[in-house]
Amino acid sequence: MKSLVKFEFLKILRKKSTLIVMAASLLITAVFFGLPILQFQIYNQDGVLRGTEGIAYEKEQYAEISVPLTNEYVTDTIREVQELFADPDNIGYDGNEQFLIDDAYWKGIAPREDLLGLIAKNYAAPNVSVGYNALPDLDVSNGTDFYQARQEKIETILNDSSKGLTEKEKEYWQNMNSQVEEPFQYGYFGGWEVIISAFELLMFAVLAICIVIAPVFSGEYQSGTDAVILSGKYGKTKLTTAKILAALLFGILAFTLHILIAFALPLTAFGIDGWNLPLQINGTTVPYPLTFLEGTLINLGVIYLVLIAMTALTLFLSARMKSPYQVLIVVMPVLFIPMFLSPNGTSGLYNLLVFLTPYQSLKPNFGSYLSYQFGPVVLDAFTMRTVLYVVLALILLPLARTGFKKHQVS
Amino acid sequence: MKLQLQHLRKQYGSKTAVDDVSVNLTPGVYGLLGANGAGKTTLMRMICGVLKPTSGSIRLNGKTIQTLGERYYTHLGYMPQDFGFYPDFTAREFMLYMAAVKGMNKKAAKARTEELLELVNLHDVAGRKIRSYSGGMKQRLGIAQAELNDPDILILDEPTAGLDPKERVRFRNIISDFAKEKIVILSTHIVSDVSYIADTILMMKQGKILLQGPMETVTESMQGKVWELVAAEQDAEKYSRNLRVVSLHHEGSQVRLRIVEDEAPAPDAHNVEPSLEDLFLYHFSEDMQKEGSENDEISG
Repeated sequence: MKSLVKFEFLKILRKKSTLIVMAASLLITAVFFGLPILQFQIYNQDGVLRGTEGIAYEKEQYAEISVPLTNEYVTDTIREVQELFADPDNIGYDGNEQFLIDDAYWKGIAPREDLLGLIAKNYAAPNVSVGYNALPDLDVSNGTDFYQARQEKIETILNDSSKGLTEKEKEYWQNMNSQVEEPFQYGYFGGWEVIISAFELLMFAVLAICIVIAPVFSGEYQSGTDAVILSGKYGKTKLTTAKILAALLFGILAFTLHILIAFALPLTAFGIDGWNLPLQINGTTVPYPLTFLEGTLINLGVIYLVLIAMTALTLFLSARMKSPYQVLIVVMPVLFIPMFLSPNGTSGLYNLLVFLTPYQSLKPNFGSYLSYQFGPVVLDAFTMRTVLYVVLALILLPLARTGFKKHQVS
Repeated sequence: MKLQLQHLRKQYGSKTAVDDVSVNLTPGVYGLLGANGAGKTTLMRMICGVLKPTSGSIRLNGKTIQTLGERYYTHLGYMPQDFGFYPDFTAREFMLYMAAVKGMNKKAAKARTEELLELVNLHDVAGRKIRSYSGGMKQRLGIAQAELNDPDILILDEPTAGLDPKERVRFRNIISDFAKEKIVILSTHIVSDVSYIADTILMMKQGKILLQGPMETVTESMQGKVWELVAAEQDAEKYSRNLRVVSLHHEGSQVRLRIVEDEAPAPDAHNVEPSLEDLFLYHFSEDMQKEGSENDEISG
């Protein structure tokens, strides 16, 4: 079996088309995940800082605010902003809203604008976008309970009728939320932010792998080698398994190479800072009690399962179709049509299904309160996707095996 | 060793590719003759277990393929017609891969690979990618892989197709070397190939076995049906259009014709000893006309 897997792996690897497709796909991945580094820019009073210079400057700014977000700290921070707004000389007006100018902005706001935005958003209604200039509207004369405000906002989200959550689902999310540790430790998480926001771009890597493995069975039919290998002792047994194992091995190794590039670029440029910080510092209503590293790894696990299931689908089709092109005619729409399907919420069968498509499943949707209920059982998006893609792989891989075994040379 | 084909039939929709074929095969070289589309390849695929018969059975020493399962394939070596190779593999890698597919252990596979590559004269180029091989080299590699497991049943489907005369002679010799104590089924529409190495002829037409018998006696049925005559050029042309003319030899202003017909084509025609080629032409002249250019190979 080992030799068969080795030879089947070599068969995939040796093809010129494999090298071309993989090189192109790795380049695309590098560009996608490298662009945020090249395009990064941050402003200070002296002008704009770009690329790694800008990143270093931003990290310096964050050093000052890498603190636990206690209620006292949040109250003091809000008060500081309110004091800045109390001086009319500091205020600018664009006809729509007020904002701080000059030193008040560059010294009081700019170094911690993300943090101020996070705090302001915690007190705003769901789906309302606010910035630091919403802070003067808050009444903190008697202090503030940042975490109580968070809890209230979460309850508003859960009780939003458009979300259509059942009592069971609300209970599920409340239970999960109760496990989130307080106070949140704030800090820099630039590298993880890039990765989390660009996960879906790995769809190109999945497609490239499907292109490469499409000929695993159908290529034998197309070239006429099916007759000679199927008439061998292990042609219909061990060889079929070896082909599937080789394809999976190739898929996982090639995808891991993409992941290494996708992760290495932002984590080298932005640093691994923030790996142990909670996801909530990027959005306070996120219910998952996870750090950036944990959240990233869990989503990555789901993505690997999507990859394995798509590999299984490709192999299943490959075992049943006469040429690799026919396989790709089916696989490509499965992978790419969901890109153009926009969910209009997180409830209703259509939306719930769209969130399970391969493309949408690459996105973590940490703050979406996306859940699936089956009787008394509630599953979050990660668990649901895990179950779905494991089941798909478990169904499709044996079907691929049977397809080749029963193939008739004609 | 006895391979029995019992009432084998293969139907594709309304077309019957193989029609009720029953043959008992014991060690020896069988030349499976027939025009293109006669059902030879379909029959061979069924024997090799890569195509399921619509009905009928294949038994090896009394046991069906289904009963024998994997064990059946250990007795089998198959070289399909025009099968593709893996162009990015070297010949040695391809042989080792096929040895693994055939379930041979690594040590035996290595030794047998070297032995066979030597035998088919590919040893010196065994490290080269197959994409650089000529048609003849690929055919030799094809038969070498079929022989890897030293099979009891060797199935060769059109092994000499596309080879030049020199390569064909070399190939026939290789097959003769491999044929000892095996059941070898050699399918071809090139009559001269089987006439040199086959012990028994199986002739297929429209899915049926039309004729079977030992090489020495199979042409007996043609006694009195093969004629030779010398005619003027304009008459020769008329004969070619209307009769089954095997060969034409220009001798000055005259032409010597070899004709296969039930009746004497002309009063001065005389009977000659029939050959396998005559027998083939007698049965397949219509099919051959349809095949066009392939006629050249048969009469060549």
